[in-house]
Amino acid sequence: MRTLKTSEAASLLNVSPNTLRAWERRFGYPKPQRSPGQHRLYTHGEVAALRDALQEGLSISSAVSRAREALSADTSVLAGALNAYELDRADGAMEAAIALRSVERSVEEVLLPSLNEMAARHGIDSAPWAFSARWARDWLLRAQRFAPPPTRSVAVLIGDANASELHPDALAMRAFELFCARAGARVMPLPVGGVSGLGDVLATFRPDAVVISGSHVADDDVARWAYAVRSSSGALPVALFRRGARGRTTGASVLPERPGDAHRHVLALVDSRFVRQYTPVDLPGEHEIAGSGRRRIGA
Amino acid sequence: MTGSRHLQIVTPAREAQPQVRFCGHCGEPPAAEDVASRVCERCGLGLLLQADADAAPGHGEAFLVVDSSLTVCAVSQHAEHVLGVLEPDAVDRRVTEFLVPADVEGPGPEMLINEILNLGAGGGEPLRVVLRPTGDFGVRIFARLAACGPPRAALVILGDE
Repeated sequence: MRTLKTSEAASLLNVSPNTLRAWERRFGYPKPQRSPGQHRLYTHGEVAALRDALQEGLSISSAVSRAREALSADTSVLAGALNAYELDRADGAMEAAIALRSVERSVEEVLLPSLNEMAARHGIDSAPWAFSARWARDWLLRAQRFAPPPTRSVAVLIGDANASELHPDALAMRAFELFCARAGARVMPLPVGGVSGLGDVLATFRPDAVVISGSHVADDDVARWAYAVRSSSGALPVALFRRGARGRTTGASVLPERPGDAHRHVLALVDSRFVRQYTPVDLPGEHEIAGSGRRRIGA
Repeated sequence: MTGSRHLQIVTPAREAQPQVRFCGHCGEPPAAEDVASRVCERCGLGLLLQADADAAPGHGEAFLVVDSSLTVCAVSQHAEHVLGVLEPDAVDRRVTEFLVPADVEGPGPEMLINEILNLGAGGGEPLRVVLRPTGDFGVRIFARLAACGPPRAALVILGDE
C-alpha cells in the first residue's frame, strides 16, 4: 500500500495541508493513519479517489461521498464472492482492498462488513456463513503470519471465551489479535476453559495485559481462569472485548466493539501502566467477578 | 404552400450574461481569478462554481446546489444555518426533504421538481419562487432558482425578496 505524507497528499489534491486537515475534521475523509512519529500518512488510493471525484463534483461533501462509494465497492465485491463461494475472488477482493488501504482498515472496512452482510443474509447457523467465516479466519491467520516480528516489549494474553472459532465475535477477536501483532506486540490466545499447565505457559510468555474476549463462557469459569492467570503473573490490567452483558467484572476495562479501537485501547492501557510504574488495575479473582464492589490492589 | 405568413409572439432570448465564479460553501468569489484548483482558497470547504452574474448568490446569501436527480449536492454555510442541517448530513438527500413550495393554492412540489430538472439539465430560465421548509408551515422563504455548474445543476438561493 502506497502512503503519502500530508504535503504530498495536499499537492496531489492541489490544496494546502491546512485544507486537508480541515476536511479530515469536517468530513472525516481522507482518514490518515499515523506514522510511528505520529505524523499523518494518507493512503494513495483514498486521495486519488477524492481527486477524481473533485473533478466532477459540485461540493467537497458530494466528492467525499462519491470517493467513499468508489472505495466501498470492495465490500460489495467481497460479499459477492463469498455469496458465490469463490475463494479466489474473495482473496482478490482483499488484495484490491489492501492496495488502497492499510491491512487494519481493509479488515475493518471490507472484511468484517462483508461478513456482517453474510450473517444478516444467511444467519450464523447457516452453511454459507460457515464457509465465509472459515475463509475469513484463514485469511486473518495468514495475515498474522506475515505480520512483522514483535517490536514492542508488550505481551497481550487473550482469554478466548467464544462459542466457536466461527462465531462473529471470534473473528473480531482474530482481527484484534492481528492488529496487536501488527502493532508490534506479542499476542497469545488461550481458551478460558483450560487452566491446567497455564502457569508454565505464562512463565514463558509473561503477559502485560489480559483481554477476555467473547461472551459464551460463564463468568464463574472465566473467573477461575483469571484467578489462575493472576496466581502465575500477578496483578495485570484486564480488559473485556465483546463480552456483552457479561461485563460484570470489577476493575476491568470494557473495550470498544471495533477491533481497531480495542487494540489501540489495550496498547494505551499497557503503555500507561509502564508510565505509572506499576499501579495496575486489579485482575479480579472469582469472588470479585461475581460481586459488584470495586477494589484496587497495587502490585 | 399557402403563402400567408402569421406573426408570432416569441419570447425574447435572454441576453447572454457574463459568468462569475463563487464558492459553493462560503459563496464568495475566488481570491484570484486564475486559480488552478477548484477548491475555494478562502474557506477550503467548497468547490468553485459558475453562474450568470445576475443569478449568482450575493455576499452572505444562503443557497443550495441541486443536481438533475433532485439530490442536494452542496449547502452553503448560511443555508446550513437557515435549514439547521450540516452539509455532510444533507448531501445525497432529496431537495424536497428540506424545501417545498409554500403556496398551498399553487402547484405542488412537482413545480419545484420540474424547474430544478429543467435547470439541472441545462434548460430553463431563472425564476423566483416561494418555498417553505418541509414539514414547517407558516414559514415562507423567498427564493430564486438559476443554473450553475460545472457540472450542470440548479442553484436555489434562499432569502431573496
